[in-house]
Amino acid sequence: MIVAAAPREQTRARYPDEDGFVERNGVRIFWERYGETEPTILLPPTWELVHSRCWKMQIPYFARHGRVLTFDPPGNGRSDRPRESAAYERSEVAEYAVAVLDAARVERAIVVSWCDMGESLILAAEHPQRVSGLVFIAPALPVHEREVPEFSFDDELDTDEGWAKENRHYWLRDWSGYVEFFISRMFPEPHSTKAIEDAVGWGLETDAETLLVGFRGWDTKEIDPATTVELCAKVRCPVLVVHGTADELVEPERACSLAAELGGAAVLLEGSGHGPHARDPVKINTMVREFSKSVAPLEPEVGRWTRALNRRKRALYVSSPIGLGHARRDVAIARELRSVVPDLEIDWLAQHPVTAVLEQEGERVHPMSVHLANETGHIESESAEHDLHCFQAIRRMDEILLANFMVFNDLVRDEQYDVWIGDEAWELDYYLHENPEQKRAAYVWLTDFVGWLPMPDGGDRESFLTADYNAEMIEHIARFPRLRDRAVFVGNPDDIVPESFGPDLPTIRDWTEQHYDFAGYVTGFDPKGLEDRDALGYRDDERVCIVTVGGSGVGAHLLRRVVDAYPQAKERVPDLRMIVVAGPRIDPAALPQQDGLEIRSYVHDLYRHLAACDVAVVQGGLTTAMELTANRRPFLYFPLRHHFEQNFHVRHRLGRYGAGRCMDFETDGPSEIAAAIAEELGREVDYLPVETDGAERAAKLIAELL
Amino acid sequence: MAVELAAEREQTRARYPDDSGYVERDGVRVWYELYGSGEPTVLLLPTWALIHSRHWKMQIPYLARHYRVVTFDGRGNGRSSRPQGAETYSIREFALDSLAVLDAIATERAVVVGVSCAALWGVLLAGEHPERIAGAAFIGPAVPLARPHSERVVHSFHEQLDTSDGWAKYNLHHWLTDYRDFLEFFVGKCFTEPHSTKQIEDMIGWGLETTPEVLADHDAGIDLPLGVDFAELCKRVRCPVLVIHGDQDALHPLERGAALAEATGGRLVTLEGSGHLPQARDPVKVNLLIREFVESLR
Repeated sequence: MIVAAAPREQTRARYPDEDGFVERNGVRIFWERYGETEPTILLPPTWELVHSRCWKMQIPYFARHGRVLTFDPPGNGRSDRPRESAAYERSEVAEYAVAVLDAARVERAIVVSWCDMGESLILAAEHPQRVSGLVFIAPALPVHEREVPEFSFDDELDTDEGWAKENRHYWLRDWSGYVEFFISRMFPEPHSTKAIEDAVGWGLETDAETLLVGFRGWDTKEIDPATTVELCAKVRCPVLVVHGTADELVEPERACSLAAELGGAAVLLEGSGHGPHARDPVKINTMVREFSKSVAPLEPEVGRWTRALNRRKRALYVSSPIGLGHARRDVAIARELRSVVPDLEIDWLAQHPVTAVLEQEGERVHPMSVHLANETGHIESESAEHDLHCFQAIRRMDEILLANFMVFNDLVRDEQYDVWIGDEAWELDYYLHENPEQKRAAYVWLTDFVGWLPMPDGGDRESFLTADYNAEMIEHIARFPRLRDRAVFVGNPDDIVPESFGPDLPTIRDWTEQHYDFAGYVTGFDPKGLEDRDALGYRDDERVCIVTVGGSGVGAHLLRRVVDAYPQAKERVPDLRMIVVAGPRIDPAALPQQDGLEIRSYVHDLYRHLAACDVAVVQGGLTTAMELTANRRPFLYFPLRHHFEQNFHVRHRLGRYGAGRCMDFETDGPSEIAAAIAEELGREVDYLPVETDGAERAAKLIAELL
Repeated sequence: MAVELAAEREQTRARYPDDSGYVERDGVRVWYELYGSGEPTVLLLPTWALIHSRHWKMQIPYLARHYRVVTFDGRGNGRSSRPQGAETYSIREFALDSLAVLDAIATERAVVVGVSCAALWGVLLAGEHPERIAGAAFIGPAVPLARPHSERVVHSFHEQLDTSDGWAKYNLHHWLTDYRDFLEFFVGKCFTEPHSTKQIEDMIGWGLETTPEVLADHDAGIDLPLGVDFAELCKRVRCPVLVIHGDQDALHPLERGAALAEATGGRLVTLEGSGHLPQARDPVKVNLLIREFVESLR
């Protein structure tokens, strides 16, 4: 059973610059425009089972190189759901396209269609002056007579099995059953869960009644073979046809015949199903871009190439913005790397808040970084009260991750680096393994946890999904061991959770020990001399409690609860001085005030205060918790609900160090917090020591490649 | 240290021509070679008579796998005639030889690629015969659109000098006295890149296949009035243009390539660290750039 994507649309990597409706014969069609410059790429809708979000992996990339127009079909998305079948005719959809081009004041566009049933062909044949090039992805256009389907669409059938579901009566009885069946056939590639969930979600935004207005079987939906051939003869623009060899919905022979009929190039994607633009977006995007360049040559650009032996050694560091911890450790590793490879030039591809740290440190942020879609904003939008379903939040970031990979890919096409370093740069690692031919430099992958783990309340579905993600990763590494030249675990083998990747998969620790080098933990600072209380304005006769949730906006609920605990804690510990650090994304004025309690929006060098405090209250993020561990401070930590990394990986690691007291946001209220603060205050800790040479060890592993 | 020359016998080629022959104009015979049968036809132009068509040896096998490639030995070297007199080596004569070769192989339209002073006849062809030229790529173009290197304008070419140091070797009397010494100096300037021994040996070998008298005539021929201002001619070029220029080119500064790209509306690719003849020294990069350029014309 597939769980459709949540009704709330996930964060887009790019939002339209203009949108609106065009109206034709009383039908309102919703369109969007992204980007301002030529060339224009028009992405028309296909069957109204899905809407314009089906282009989500293409829009951000094409919009960075030109203008993109999309529109929703009649019957889905934000367009009307007309009750007259004429509104769904393919020739009518071609006219909607013309109306959208007019509304966006676009003279000519390259049309990139998916599963075209006639609309794009009609558009190019009947309005040649509006179409400068035509790309067909998995076209359903028949050049020869079709096979008669096994089951009747209109008759009552005595079975619901397989394609018998493609039946008027079944649709009305179990629309979601049909949508799930059809969409699952669309993506036969393994590990397609997200693409399937997305498309099922779009299918459920409309209904059987609406689809039935414009559908009486494929033979009437698609234009007929004779018309197809006739229209092909009229097309004059360049054509590219792309089709998956494993397409279960439309046989690839149709694409080959169509390309032959049009005199265009046909590219077969081995192993791809019916939706390669969703499933192999890097390949499709780069192919369409090449096609677009050949159709609409751009102003000549200035090129530059440096002879191999004239090149400086250069590294591109891609540092994940999710969790502020990466920035500091990556800067520390970069510093060590420069001391081993003195002439190394390091560029950073990064976004806020990593860039704030980098600028402070005088590091060079590559200008292409401005094109990165915002990841932290998305993560915040996915969170609720002390709750972040981090696995789902990362899944729902697929569009952003791909958009950011395409930025990376453009950058490394233009500029040569000796090594790419990705610290939990998921987009880089994932899409490189999906597109291994894109590797052009040594590549180092860094992470502090391995293995997606299900939360108990996610049930079977979440267990299945995390195991599927783990399996894909394991298959990626097994098939392309050359891709990661170094895989560096920021930690030690004992930090790895004693769990399995999933049913029939190896245990995480065994596999990680086989596939990673271990750098030890990287704090990014030297703990010696940090505990100087005087310099920070703390007196010896006061007991300092720092409350912080890091840089994220997810922590306001926890801060509020600790504020509520302050009076009771103060009663228990009269010399308590509590300082609540709201951080850049939480308004301190929005927090309740208490007599004697200090609330600050920002504390410079917070890590020094954490090193000098008597007790701290924090979230379950690895960085802050490990800073406290390294500095041997007592602390309470509250893992975010549904955050598998904080609940399993971090908790396991802190347990190993004997560090921190794990609290439960569910059950621990103000009095429990006050009691725990009183108990922890001044406790002699017996934590395992944290190594201080992690950055140096990581840098040495990287330097071997330079 | 004196350069040991490659054996006089031509080294084994990676690919031999499918067809070859002579075209003759006013008694001057020009030797052409044709490789491959793809589309379009790519004409690899001759350059200064110091070298002949073997200077394209790193391009021919690759390009001929994709296109129909034609080369010819410019008059004055290789298997072509060595006429006498500046007027027989004018820019226009080289353009007319090019058209005659295209006619001989029944080719209406071609992409031209040229090194150094081949840009002079290449621009003339593209500007005056747009119907014959689909695109033009120029490598280290020796065009009078920007100032030459200052050290090249210190000494007279015709006067007897009291020095033969450096660019003073670019002097008729020195050529006639010690041609080999000039060749070694000049070819060394062509390849500023370290580790260029093979390219240098090749080029000196080709240089020894002609005479200083021919080179002097060729230089004088290039200086003859063209009848049209070269900058004006550049503006007439309508076909796509690619300019490839090394920023360590000791013969013709990068500014000349940049100016040619600007004047023709073409694309400039700067090769950092490259000298005057990157088609020999960085053949992979140059081959890929030519291929990409030819593909962009489709």
